[in-house]
Amino acid sequence: MKKGTVVLIVVAVIVLLLGSSVVKRYNQLVALEQTVEGSWAQVENQLQRRADLIPNLVNTVRGYASHEEQVFADVADARSRLLGARTPEAQMEANQGLDSALGRLLAISEAYPELKADASFIRLQDELAGTENRIATERMRFNQSVQTWNTTIRQFPTRLIASLMGFEPKPFFEVAPGAREVPQVEF
Amino acid sequence: MFSQLNRRFIQFSIFLAALFVFTGLVSAAFPAHQGFVNDFANVLDQRSKAEMQLLGERLWKEQGIGLVVVTVSTTAPMEPKEYTTALFNEWGVGGPEDSGLLMLLAVAEGAIEVEPGYGLEGVLPDGLIGAVIDQEGMPHFRKRDYGPGLAAMAVAYANILAGEKYEIAEEKSPNSGWLLSFAIFILIVVLMRRGRRYPPGGTGGVGGGGSRRGPVIITRMPRGGGFGGGFGGGSRPSGGFGGGRSGGGGAGRRF
Repeated sequence: MKKGTVVLIVVAVIVLLLGSSVVKRYNQLVALEQTVEGSWAQVENQLQRRADLIPNLVNTVRGYASHEEQVFADVADARSRLLGARTPEAQMEANQGLDSALGRLLAISEAYPELKADASFIRLQDELAGTENRIATERMRFNQSVQTWNTTIRQFPTRLIASLMGFEPKPFFEVAPGAREVPQVEF
Repeated sequence: MFSQLNRRFIQFSIFLAALFVFTGLVSAAFPAHQGFVNDFANVLDQRSKAEMQLLGERLWKEQGIGLVVVTVSTTAPMEPKEYTTALFNEWGVGGPEDSGLLMLLAVAEGAIEVEPGYGLEGVLPDGLIGAVIDQEGMPHFRKRDYGPGLAAMAVAYANILAGEKYEIAEEKSPNSGWLLSFAIFILIVVLMRRGRRYPPGGTGGVGGGGSRRGPVIITRMPRGGGFGGGFGGGSRPSGGFGGGRSGGGGAGRRF
C-alpha cells in the first residue's frame, strides 16, 4: 500500500518533469519558427518594394528607348509572376526570373547616354540598388534564422519533439551563381 | 566503408572551413567609434571635422538623429556596401529608434556609401540620398577633397532631416505652376507648424527670419518621455550609438 503510493509519486514527478521539458522545448520551437516566418516577411517586404519600383523604371526607360518592347514585356511578365507567387519557394524562383529581366532592362541604358543622364532615371536606379541591398541584407538574416531552425530541430532531444509535431527543415534563400550584380551608378 | 568515412571527414572539414570563413567575415573586427566623426583614414581637414562634429551633436540633441561620418583606408575583404551595413548594425548608429545615418568613405576603393537606419528610410529615400551624393559630394570627391565633400553632404542631409525641400537638379525646367503651389503648400505648413507649441528645447533650431536657410521645420520629435534630464550632455549618454539597426538601404558612388 505504502510502496504503491511512493511509486505513484515518483512516476508522477517524472511525468511532470518530462512534460514541462517537452512543453518548454515545444515553445522554443514555436518561437523559432515565428522568427523564421518574421524574417521571411521582411524579405517579402523588400521584394514587394522592388516590384513597386519597376513600373516607374520601365516608363522612364521607355521614354528614351520605346522600341525595346520585348524587354519591357519580359520585365512585366517576371514582375507579375513574382507578385502572383504565394509560397516562399515560388517567390524565390520568380525573384530570379525578375533579376535577369531587370538586368536586361538596365543593360539598355548603356546604349542611351541621355537616359543614363536623366535625373529621375538616376534616382530610380538608386532606389533599385538600395532595395537590392536591402533584399541581400534581409536574405542574410533570413538564412541565419533558417540555419538556427534547421540545427535546432535536428538536435537531440528536440529532434523527437520536432518529428512528433511534424516540424520540417526549411530551405535557404539561395542566390543562383552568376546572379546579376547590384547595379552601380557610375559617372 | 573506409571511403565513406573518408568522404564524411572531407565533408566535415569543408563545413568547418566554411564556418571559419563565415564567422571571420561576420566578426571582422570593427574599430570602436570615436563619436560622430571617425576619421580612421586620416584624410579630413580640421575645419570639416569640426563642422560635422557640431552638426552631429546638434542633430542628436534636437531631433535624436545620429549622423555619423566614417573614413577608412579600405573595407577589404568586404565590399564597401557590405562593410557599411555591418558597421552600422555593429555600432547601432542612431540608437534604439533606428534613426541613424551613416556616411562611409573608403579611400582605397574610392567609394562613398550612405546608409539610413530603418527609422529614417521614409524621410530619406535612396534616390534622394544618391542625389545629395551627386550634387554635394562628388564634385569634391573627384578632386580628392574628402572633408569639404562629406561636410557639404552632412549639411544637406541635416537640412532634409529638418524638413527642408532639397532641390534636385533637373535638366528640364520645372513647371512653375507646380512650383508655386508647392511653395504655397510649404508656407501653409510652416504657418501651421509655427502656431503649435513644442515642448521646450524642441524648437531650438527655429531661428529668426534673417537666417539664410529660412525657417526650419522640425518634422521628427524624439519619442518617449525620458527627456527631462536637461541638455547638458548627460540626457542622452549613448551619443547616438547602440541599438540602431539598418536594413542595408541607401546609396553609394565610386569616384
